[in-house]
Amino acid sequence: MSDMLDMIIESSNRIFKDNCTKQLLDDAEDGNFAIDLWNIIAESGLSSIALPENKGGAGGDFIDAFNILKLAGKYGLPLPLAETLIAKWLGTELGFTFSNEPVTFSIQKDDNISFKMTGDGYSIAGEAKDVPWASAAKHILLLGKSNEKDVIAFVPLDNAKIIKGKNLAAEPRDHVIFPNILANGLSLREVNCIDISEKSIHLLALAKSAMIAGAAEKVLALSLFYANERQQFGRSLHRFQSIQQHIAVLTGETTACLTAANSAIYALQGGRYEKEIPLAKMKLSESAGVIAMAAHQLHGAIGMTYEHMLHHMTRRLWSWRDEAGNEAYWGKKLTKLIMKDKDSSLWEILTNDKQFTKVEE
Amino acid sequence: MIKLELPVVKFTAEQTEFRNTVREFLIEEKKRGAFESRCDSWLSGESVDFSRKLGQKGWIGMTWPKKYGGRERSALERYILTEELLTAGAPVAAHWFADRQTGPLFLKFGTEEQKNFFLPMITKGECFFSIGLSEPNAGSDLAAIKTKAERTDGGWLLNGSKIWTSGAHLSHYMIVLCRTSPFDPNNRHAGMSQLVVNMKAEGLTVRPIQFLTGQHHFNEVFFENVFVPDNRLIGIEGNGWKQGMAELAYERSGPERILSTYPLLDELIKILRENDDEEGMREAVSLLPELWTLRNMSMGVAKYLEEGHDVNMAAALVKELGTKFETSIAEKARLLLSQLPSIESAELINRFMAQSILHGPGFTLRGGTTEILRGIVAKGVVSQ
Repeated sequence: MSDMLDMIIESSNRIFKDNCTKQLLDDAEDGNFAIDLWNIIAESGLSSIALPENKGGAGGDFIDAFNILKLAGKYGLPLPLAETLIAKWLGTELGFTFSNEPVTFSIQKDDNISFKMTGDGYSIAGEAKDVPWASAAKHILLLGKSNEKDVIAFVPLDNAKIIKGKNLAAEPRDHVIFPNILANGLSLREVNCIDISEKSIHLLALAKSAMIAGAAEKVLALSLFYANERQQFGRSLHRFQSIQQHIAVLTGETTACLTAANSAIYALQGGRYEKEIPLAKMKLSESAGVIAMAAHQLHGAIGMTYEHMLHHMTRRLWSWRDEAGNEAYWGKKLTKLIMKDKDSSLWEILTNDKQFTKVEE
Repeated sequence: MIKLELPVVKFTAEQTEFRNTVREFLIEEKKRGAFESRCDSWLSGESVDFSRKLGQKGWIGMTWPKKYGGRERSALERYILTEELLTAGAPVAAHWFADRQTGPLFLKFGTEEQKNFFLPMITKGECFFSIGLSEPNAGSDLAAIKTKAERTDGGWLLNGSKIWTSGAHLSHYMIVLCRTSPFDPNNRHAGMSQLVVNMKAEGLTVRPIQFLTGQHHFNEVFFENVFVPDNRLIGIEGNGWKQGMAELAYERSGPERILSTYPLLDELIKILRENDDEEGMREAVSLLPELWTLRNMSMGVAKYLEEGHDVNMAAALVKELGTKFETSIAEKARLLLSQLPSIESAELINRFMAQSILHGPGFTLRGGTTEILRGIVAKGVVSQ
């Protein structure tokens, strides 16, 4: 982790805590993009963390970045911070430059996007599905084909047709259609389609993992608050053993979530992700549902009302567990890895030195 | 806001090398027939020879000061050793409690004489301990213990009994939690002390209690006017409860709360791979995120323990989640294999399954039931 971690965490925590009110989350669900908050975040450098300063970034490393995303999850930040960061990390490596605006990406090898050279630019055709925050972003980092080659371009969304969609938490997940759009001055970068799509889904899976861990912390805090405050049968809820069981489950799963997310974050910073990110995302996705249900059971009917804060967090948990690959998706990948590694026992796979090398602190 | 995060542990190149050394040793020992792998080997795999051999390697009490026979290695190295022993299903039950908690108890609260007398013998694998906590009427409610020690010339007279004492029939000494002052209903945890009792002492009888497999792991131990000399009181008279609770962090968060059935999982994965059973493997793989997470949690607690943090709640959490995981391995394996688990089977996997299923209920009972642990966690987090 970089020296500035504590400072960055403290200032992000303050920004998110002061701004991510229930009202802001409600407004975001109604389709109002929180532009003022985005500007604060962008100006403070949080949307370009883990990018070198000489490339227009704010410096810092993955540990800083994913810790900020953990906080974004905790406060339900209704902005494309994870998407912007990942697009910038991938795009900067390919030589694209970015401004302070929100960005999204669609790097899915199954999307059929084509770039056809025409005059001064390219004609873009095809569709990208379930693109996060496309309706709020000005640009998209887009994977497609040009002359049979896999390419990535940084494409303006002005003329794209966007059919708005949303996940369970009403975060924008849009359908983006490019009906032969002309884009001038577009530059394409040739890429290996498998490598880049794998890289992007791993990064997004870790981002969602961190966000689930943060949201879990918040759900636990809300549950503890309620169990203290609410009285039934003349006693606070937390005095009942049956409620204590829920609290223990919530505490255990939340601690497990934080551990899994942190372990994968440190692994990535140490250059490892092949096993760690799938394991983390599987664990976090599994816990997300357990945590949501236990918290709702503890809260009773009030937790299911729109006026309560709980659902903003639980609907995020239910959304994020399926985004960037759920348990089945990553389980399949992990299965292939283990089937392939015929000479190693499971224990060797779990402990080999590539797995747990030194992480610099 | 509550703080639940545990540190992320990284192993150095030297530590990885140490892991490989231990692994090679265990492969060699197994090859020459020194032991047969089994699940839950830390409770039921007893081999006096094997314990002695580990002692010779310097692998019992390896973190303790050299002047007491230890090797002053780090807690993480001990963690690695423990993991390797358990995943290999090696017979470590005989010296287990002495290495895990009695040694650290002496180091923390013992007199110089006690440390000089007991620790070197323990490190050689020649002195085994059992832990006397539960009594017939004091299970989860441990503060209800009735075994009492009364002052006599030059020491104490101990009367009462302990139950479910693992390995009492093998051990040389027992750490007995007993009342040294009468029960005070307003302060249930006061007035208890820890005594080191020689298992050969006059008036002490060990009665085996047959385990549901028919095997003999635990016992009932009776004390009838057993004389315990003054110098065998550990720490401060009346401070036994507090001292005992400090031990529990070691007892609850170690790899043995995750890995008791690990040999079964390893063998299951091996078989699925040999059979090219991708569908089955996908099912088995669903166990791994939990294992990986728990392992990281347990290592984080180990690191915090070494740094002197209070890890009571975190240790309870690891045990609560870890032991639930241990039982889940057999439940998955039986559906994927459709074979007949049997303790007597000629096939290793069937024996592992039988051991895991039959020992299963104990995982979530011993060292604090799941319900008690959840109570500790809930109270801990509410009071934060």
